Amino acid sequence: MTEGMRLRLAVIGRLGRGLLPYLLSFLVAFAVVGLVLALLGFDVWRAYRTILGTSFRTSNGFVQTLIKWIPIVLQALAFTVPLVAGKFNIGGEGQMIVGAIGAAAVGILLADLPLPILLPLLLLTGVLCGMLWVLGPAWLLYRFGVNEILTTVLLNFTAFELIDFVATKIWADPRAGHPTTVAIGAGGMLPLLVTRPPLHSGLLIALAIVIIVYVYTHHTAVGYELLATGANPRAARVFGLPVRRLFLFSLLFGGALAGLSGAIEVAGVHGRLIAGLQSNFLLLGIITGLIAKGNNAAVPFVAFFIAVLEVGASALQRTMAIPGEMTFIVEALILIFVLLNDVVRRYRS
Amino acid sequence: MTNSPWINFAGLVMLAIVPYVLAAQGTMLAGRTGLFIVAQEGIMLVGASVGFLGAYHFQNLAAGLGLALLVGGLFGLILAYFTTTLKMDQFVVGLAVFFLGLGLSNLLFKIVIGITLQPPRIPTLKAWSVPFLADIPILGPILFRQNGLVYFSILLSFFLYYVLYYTGTGLALRATGENPKAADSLGVHVTRYRYVTAIFGGMLMALAGAFLPMVYTGTYTDGIVRGRGWLAIALTFFGGWKPHTILLGSFFFAGVEILALRVQVTAIGLPHQFLRMLPYLGTILVMTLAFRGARPPAFLGQNYDRESRTTSS
Repeated sequence: MTEGMRLRLAVIGRLGRGLLPYLLSFLVAFAVVGLVLALLGFDVWRAYRTILGTSFRTSNGFVQTLIKWIPIVLQALAFTVPLVAGKFNIGGEGQMIVGAIGAAAVGILLADLPLPILLPLLLLTGVLCGMLWVLGPAWLLYRFGVNEILTTVLLNFTAFELIDFVATKIWADPRAGHPTTVAIGAGGMLPLLVTRPPLHSGLLIALAIVIIVYVYTHHTAVGYELLATGANPRAARVFGLPVRRLFLFSLLFGGALAGLSGAIEVAGVHGRLIAGLQSNFLLLGIITGLIAKGNNAAVPFVAFFIAVLEVGASALQRTMAIPGEMTFIVEALILIFVLLNDVVRRYRS
Repeated sequence: MTNSPWINFAGLVMLAIVPYVLAAQGTMLAGRTGLFIVAQEGIMLVGASVGFLGAYHFQNLAAGLGLALLVGGLFGLILAYFTTTLKMDQFVVGLAVFFLGLGLSNLLFKIVIGITLQPPRIPTLKAWSVPFLADIPILGPILFRQNGLVYFSILLSFFLYYVLYYTGTGLALRATGENPKAADSLGVHVTRYRYVTAIFGGMLMALAGAFLPMVYTGTYTDGIVRGRGWLAIALTFFGGWKPHTILLGSFFFAGVEILALRVQVTAIGLPHQFLRMLPYLGTILVMTLAFRGARPPAFLGQNYDRESRTTSS
């Protein structure tokens, strides 16, 4: 065996040991859900093929998966960036909604501006609005030490009312049967990368964000300060890090990402503001972040897997009448089993 | 006098405290042994779903309540096992269980009922007038013409107060959440306390959830809990992790909820969406102003490891 081969094998071995728990969790979760489906009298193999294969069988399925991946990965990072500093941002949903409202407002009020001006302005407004929505909880944490979990989550419910107000009272589209605003200007729409099936260029933005966040948390000194704060706030304070300011900053960073996800939904998917556009992306994002154990390098891959499951789930509901919530159980089980692997490892060491 | 809007309002508030009191007492109970549950919203949803389905299937509200208690206890057991025995992070496990509850509640409903435009309904829980007391002017209609769960939640609060502060069990329970090492050294079975309170806590949360379809709506919808689980955590902090002050604090939460609904109906020009924000914004305000004096149990949110050398892991 040559030196190079041995090295390669060592790398593969290390990667394998890292991935093995995920693979096991995945298998066990699917086995459990398969058992339940079998007991309910469904064709289990067909269900498996549908849930995992829909994304890869047609180009439409694949594009659908990519389009879902964008908000999931952004919501996941909106959760994991504060998590690196040890803070829980459960308000990504509200930040996304308010980001979408800001983006739609710009797109509607300045509808006549040309694309090179309107689109960046729209996305930037989304980012700022997302930050604005988390500013309250972040400041209360910074100034008074108020627990951020509750304040961020309560602002989600507040945002539901806000989007309903904007979509029914301010720029309501009277022809829509559901709270919806009129369309934004054509210059506010993200250009398509592929036209059939349509794939918008928000994908490139999300990819850029993924790389930026990864480099920031893994390869910069400021990112390391965030990590040190999350690992041991007391030690970080002793070493002179501005711990509370880092908390504030990490939450604002998360809010910016969530706000951007809302703006992209408006500019890329809907072209207008629709109540309910937040879907369940917050929960999927949190699940993604937790399955990835807060590791920003793993988040994009886990997010892709979750997107595959989600696209499979809607196909499952359409073709086999299996409720889409089934995937939620799969995801929660995978999360629990991934966490269990850590426990097993702790006992063995 | 008996039909004045104020009496009506007070009666509705008495009704609305129930889910908050039950879920918050459950949170408090588990928290007092150091287990910080954050899965309230999920467990309440499961309680609402299972409670409704049980009541619908057996045509019997008690069966629904029993089923909800059973499932709630099971969720509490899962939480206790993962945190206390396996020593996994309490927040992460709590969030995972929250997801599980969220998925399970809708899934069960869809499997049993299917997807319908006209959801099936169950009869709502009847009010029960306490003999003699119900005839007292003003107080009677407010306090003594309510359903059983209202009486239960108030009596439970008094009962928990008594147990926590006037019995040896309560002392041991509180010690577990303050300093498990010291409690352990005095022969208190820390793990057992955590399991028992987690199971009771889960049952109370599920009961809080089951209250919603059985009293308010007569049916289950996926938005039925609407953040009450999270508000219950806030109430627990607001009430300083003490049963009697939690009961008092619940009147604030219920009052804001009913007020927002009421004003919405009478319409004072403000868009109703802003009124519906009140409970959430009010809670954040209260958290900022009132929480700072309240001290949670010292060991809250941490797992106890008998073999570790330090008192705080």
